[in-house]
Amino acid sequence: MKSYDHSFHAYIQGIILIGFALLMLGLVLSGNIGYYIAPQMMPFVYFGMMTFFLLGVVQIFRSTAKKNNQEEHQCGDHCDHDHQIKGPVWVKVLVYSIFILPVLSGFILPDRMLNSDLAGNRGIQFGSGLDLAQAAPEGADSPDGGEAPLSRAEAYLEDPEGYMDDLLNKSNESTGEDDEHYQIEDFYDQEWFDDFYLEFADELEQEEIITVTEANYLDVMTVLDLYLDRFVGKELEIIGFVYREADFEDHEIVAARFSMTCCTADAGVYGTLIESEEATEFENDMWIYARGVIKKGQYHDYQIPIITDSYLVEVEEPDSPYVYPSFNW
Amino acid sequence: MKTMKLKGIGKDLLGMALLFLFLLLFLFNDSLNNSEMLNNIPSALINVNTIFLSIVLEAIPFILLGVFISSLIQIYVSEETLQRFIPKNAIAALIPAALLGAILPLCECAIVPVVRRLIKKGMPLHIGVVFLVAAPILNPIVFASTYFAFKDPFSQTNTVLYSRMGLAFVLSIIIGAIFYAVFKNNSQQLRGNVPVHHDHSHQYEEKKPTIFSRIRDAFYHAVDEFFMMGKYLIIGAFIAALFQTFLNRDVLQSIGTNDYSSTMVMMGFAYLLSLCSEADAFVASSFRSSFSEMSLVAFLVYGPMLDLKNTFMLFALFKSRFVLVFIVTVTIVVFAAIAILYGIIL
Repeated sequence: MKSYDHSFHAYIQGIILIGFALLMLGLVLSGNIGYYIAPQMMPFVYFGMMTFFLLGVVQIFRSTAKKNNQEEHQCGDHCDHDHQIKGPVWVKVLVYSIFILPVLSGFILPDRMLNSDLAGNRGIQFGSGLDLAQAAPEGADSPDGGEAPLSRAEAYLEDPEGYMDDLLNKSNESTGEDDEHYQIEDFYDQEWFDDFYLEFADELEQEEIITVTEANYLDVMTVLDLYLDRFVGKELEIIGFVYREADFEDHEIVAARFSMTCCTADAGVYGTLIESEEATEFENDMWIYARGVIKKGQYHDYQIPIITDSYLVEVEEPDSPYVYPSFNW
Repeated sequence: MKTMKLKGIGKDLLGMALLFLFLLLFLFNDSLNNSEMLNNIPSALINVNTIFLSIVLEAIPFILLGVFISSLIQIYVSEETLQRFIPKNAIAALIPAALLGAILPLCECAIVPVVRRLIKKGMPLHIGVVFLVAAPILNPIVFASTYFAFKDPFSQTNTVLYSRMGLAFVLSIIIGAIFYAVFKNNSQQLRGNVPVHHDHSHQYEEKKPTIFSRIRDAFYHAVDEFFMMGKYLIIGAFIAALFQTFLNRDVLQSIGTNDYSSTMVMMGFAYLLSLCSEADAFVASSFRSSFSEMSLVAFLVYGPMLDLKNTFMLFALFKSRFVLVFIVTVTIVVFAAIAILYGIIL
C-alpha cells in the first residue's frame, strides 16, 4: 500500500485537534489556565479552543467523506502536496507523537506555578520592572539619582499647579504627532504616568498600613522605588512565596511574586526583602503573609526598601499566584 | 483485500483509543493534578513543562490566525491580482513592503505561513523577507508594549522605542535588498519544488466553486498548514523552555562585560528565549539595571526577526540554504547597525 492514506491522516489529525481543544477546555474549566497564560491573552485562548474543536470536527468529517468521494479536496492531483507527511511509518509516528506530547503532558503533569528554583535563575528584582534605572542603581557614591524623585516630589508639593503645567508642556512637546495614531498613548502619556504614581504615593501615605495586593503589586513596588523616603517608618503588609538568595543571612528572606505579561516565558520575579528572627522557620516556596515596618536598606549597592520587625505567618497560595502589569488594553 | 480491510479497522481503533484516552484524561484531570506521585516529580521538570505548555498555548492561537489568513489568501487572492499590486522595479518595491509590514498586526509566529503563501502566489522572495523581519516589530501592539516597558518618568524621550522601530524599518529594507542581490537568479527557495504557475489554476476551471466549498477548502488548508508548522513550533518551544529553566541569568552578566560583548550576549539570549514580540519589551526592561541600552535594543530588534522557535518553522518551509543565509544576514546586519547607531551616532 504505497498510496498516501488521506482519510486516515485526516482522522488522526482531527482527533489530535480535539485533544488540544479538550486540554484548553480542561484548563479553562479548572482555572489552571492561569498558571500558563495571562488574563489579558485569554481571548486568544478561547479563539484557539473554539477553532480547534471546529477544525477537529471538520477533519473527522473529511476523513469519512474521502472514502466515497474522490474529488473531495478540490485541488485534486495538481495541488501542492507538501502538506503530506513524507517518509517511512516511523517518521509519521514520530511527527504525531510530537503533537500528542503537549496534550499528554498538559493533562498528566500537575499544573503548578513556577517556583523558587527558577526565581534563582531568573534573578530577582527588588523593586519594579516598569521603572527606572535611575532610581535603582545609584549606590552610595552617586547622590544624583537618589535625589531626583524626592526633589520632584518637593517641587510638586511646593507649587502643584505650576509643576503640573510644566509637565503638561513638556509632555506635549515630546509625544507630538504619534498621539493620533496610538490612542493608548494618550491615555498613558508622560503626564498621566507621573501623575498616577504621585497621586498613588499620596494615597498610600494616607493609609495606616500599606496593603500590597495582587492588583496594586507592581504599582506599589514602583512607588516604593520612586519615593522610598516618604514611606520609611510606615507599616506594610504583603503576601508572597519565600525565596532566598545564596548570600542571604539567616534572618533574611524575600516575599516574592512572579509577574507575567503574556505567558510564563516572559515571567519576572519581584520581591521584598524581609528581616525577621523567625525567618528560618519558613522554607522556600512556602506562601507567607508578612507585616512590618519599612526602612531604607541596601543590597548589592542598590537602594531598596526592607521590611523589619516583621510578623510572619504561613498562608494558602493565592487564587492568582502571578501578578500582572496593571494596565490593560 | 482482506488485509487492507483489517488494516483499516486497526487504524480506526487506534484513533478511537487516542480519543478515548484524551476524554479519560480530560475527565480525571483533577485527580491527576492532586495525586501524590505526580507531585513528587522534580520541580525542574515541572518548571520546564509549565513554560513549554505556556509557550505552546500562547503561540497556537497566533499560528491559527496566520494559517487562516494564509488560506484566505490562497483562495481569494489570485496570482494576477498580486502581480498588479507589486511594483515592477524590485528595489522600489522594498519600501512599500516595509510600510505594509507595519500595517499587518502579525507577530513572528503568524507571519511565517502568510509569507510562505504569498511567495507561493508569486510574490518576489525578497519582498517576503521584508515582511518576515518587519511585521513582527513594526506593529501597533509591539509599539504600545515597548512604550510602556521603557517609559521613564524622568526623561521625555523614549530612545529605546524609537531606536527599535527605526531600526526595524531601515534594516528590513536593507535585508530585503541583500536577499534580492543573493537570490536574484534563484528565487525558488520554498521547500517542495512547486512550479509557481500551475499551482492553483483550478479556481478558474469548469464550474465556479460554491461558497461552501471555498470555506471548506479554507479549513482544509488551515489544518494542513497547522500540522506542517505545528511540529516545529512544539520542538522549538520545548528547547526554549529548557533554556528558560536552566539558564542562569547571572551568567549573562559575567560574559557581557563591555558594550559589544553584552550586545552579542543579549542577541543570543533573545534567540534562545523565543519570546513573543508583543511581550519581549517587558523582559528587556527587567535587564535595564545590568545591561546597556545598546544591548537591550539589540535584544528587541533581533529577537522578533529571528529566534529558536522560528528557525525551526523556517526550516520547515524554506530550503536550508535560504534559512542559513537568512540567519547569517539578519545577525550581521542587526549587529552592525546597532554598533553603528550606538557607537558612532548616539
